[in-house]
Amino acid sequence: MKTVIETKNLVRKFGEAQTQVTALSNVSTHIEEGEFTAIIGPSGSGKTTLLQLIGGLDEPDSGDVFLSGTNIANMSGKQLSDFRRDHIGFIFQSYNLIPVLSAEENIEYIMLLQGVDEKDRKTRVQEMLALVGLEGLGDRRPSQLSGGQQQRVAVARAMASKPDIILADEPTANLDSTTGIALLDMMRELNAQMNMTFVFSTHDQKIMDRADRLIHLEDGVIQLDEICSS
Amino acid sequence: MLSLKLAWRNLFRNTRRTLLTCMLITSSLVVIILVDGIMLGMIDVMVGGITKTLEGEAQVNQKGFRENFEPELFLNDPDAITAALASDERVAGHAPRVIIGGMIASPYNTTGGLVYGVDALSELRVSRLEEATYEGEYLTGAKREILLGKLMGELLEVSLGDRIIITAAKVDTGEITQELFRVTGFFEFGPEEMDQSLAFINLSAAQPLLGMDGHVHQIAVQFVDPEDAKNKTLPTLTRLNQGNVEALGWLDLQPSIGGIIEMSSYASAIVGAVLFILTSLGVINSMFMSIYERIYEFGVAKAIGTTPRQIIALVLFEAFFLALMACAIGVLLGYLASSYFESNGIPMGRMEMSGVLLDGNLHTEVRAYQFVAFPIYVTLLTVAAAIYPAVFASRIVPSQALQRVL
Repeated sequence: MKTVIETKNLVRKFGEAQTQVTALSNVSTHIEEGEFTAIIGPSGSGKTTLLQLIGGLDEPDSGDVFLSGTNIANMSGKQLSDFRRDHIGFIFQSYNLIPVLSAEENIEYIMLLQGVDEKDRKTRVQEMLALVGLEGLGDRRPSQLSGGQQQRVAVARAMASKPDIILADEPTANLDSTTGIALLDMMRELNAQMNMTFVFSTHDQKIMDRADRLIHLEDGVIQLDEICSS
Repeated sequence: MLSLKLAWRNLFRNTRRTLLTCMLITSSLVVIILVDGIMLGMIDVMVGGITKTLEGEAQVNQKGFRENFEPELFLNDPDAITAALASDERVAGHAPRVIIGGMIASPYNTTGGLVYGVDALSELRVSRLEEATYEGEYLTGAKREILLGKLMGELLEVSLGDRIIITAAKVDTGEITQELFRVTGFFEFGPEEMDQSLAFINLSAAQPLLGMDGHVHQIAVQFVDPEDAKNKTLPTLTRLNQGNVEALGWLDLQPSIGGIIEMSSYASAIVGAVLFILTSLGVINSMFMSIYERIYEFGVAKAIGTTPRQIIALVLFEAFFLALMACAIGVLLGYLASSYFESNGIPMGRMEMSGVLLDGNLHTEVRAYQFVAFPIYVTLLTVAAAIYPAVFASRIVPSQALQRVL
């Protein structure tokens, strides 16, 4: 299998002098194409920091992050923006859609940034909406959609740019149990059908139950890296 | 297109704030339009006060005459000048004048003053003398007619029909000469200095009195297009500027008024600048509030690949649309307000400024550029004011903006 993400000796510290906290300490791991991986651990364990570093949202103090073979740790702001746009899909906990744009426009937005022509954008938007089961709801604004539907739009937006990997931070945290399960099952299906790589940062047992692999983080160190049989 | 749509819709996420900011920009635009209209109206009154009252839009004199009104500095060949002016299509009217300083005495009092010998008919097209004659009759051409300024009449304690003796020195011999006149009317131009020191007699009476038959000191001119008077290269005037004759427009005749007009435009610019600064601060504040409310959203936008330049463009588009809305309303309100004051005037009371009387209502002037140039300036400055907040938004660090959730 192709390695999508590889981290080497990642170190990230916050604060200065006596108040300095080591969020990640020499974290080295790799994620293969098509994996459905969950980074788990208690609050403050460093899972958020690891997800940010993998996504190019933060820079490590030392170490490297390779995404599809490209080291993103030393990229400039503009290079990182372009790289995130073309290679990484993000799903955040909540409120991650642009409220003044409709569901269709939210999905279209990222393709607009990529410079995809209008006809292709419109076609792909409809494909994505169908994929996440929201046909006919494309003209609704986020405030007119339920929490679960909003997260489905977020998944559709993340996938619209055809990224190498989707990073999801607590995507079910603000959803009720039934909606959360439905969303996860949908993502698991997309993972299975399209071989899309998903990496979650989560406390949610429902995600852990569906993951192929669990990376246990504690005090910024990987304590356990287990392959699950589902 | 989606970016424009996004910027437009963002404006209405907090309608109240957008409206308040819009009102601030609109108010500034309306005030700038009104101030400019008032300044133009005031300049118009001042220029009109000078050029229409007595001076004319241009004058032909012998060089040096205007400094001290030396009687011997008269025009040697007024007929040639008059003929040139009469044949010029740009000239609406011209009036020859004899001007002499003399003693003006009534049976009860005596005062010094300037006596103008004028051609009654020609003067109608050049000055306001007939209009300003509020009591008695305007000049008819009869030999002993004299019009006195209101204040001079009060000083000399005369009424219509009373005798006036003018004492002056003859130009040709220097002899002291006297002539009797009867008060046929009183005029009031407004400025105290004019109403206290001027008297008008017929040219046909003035020339023999002063021993200058066929000669005049001055020819006042009015143009068909008043703008011609500002043109220093106007052939009408340059052709006459030969030898010891000088033909000047009112800007050269009254350089102090030119200075006041220039100062008025500075005053407009200062008012505009102060308003623009205040408006800019309001826009900056509003844009920052809007950005602070959307920090998380900007974090998400940057996380998914929006570049800093695209964020800057978004914020600037928002400012641009805000300015467009404000200017559309501002142009409408500015036009309504300015048109109203153009028709009805602004009550200013009675005041004298640089020898010009401003009396009654001041009428603003509505000009097309006020509704084109000013909105463009306001729009550009609003967008410029949004640059700082836009750059701030572009520098939002996604990991910090998302910190609460990620």
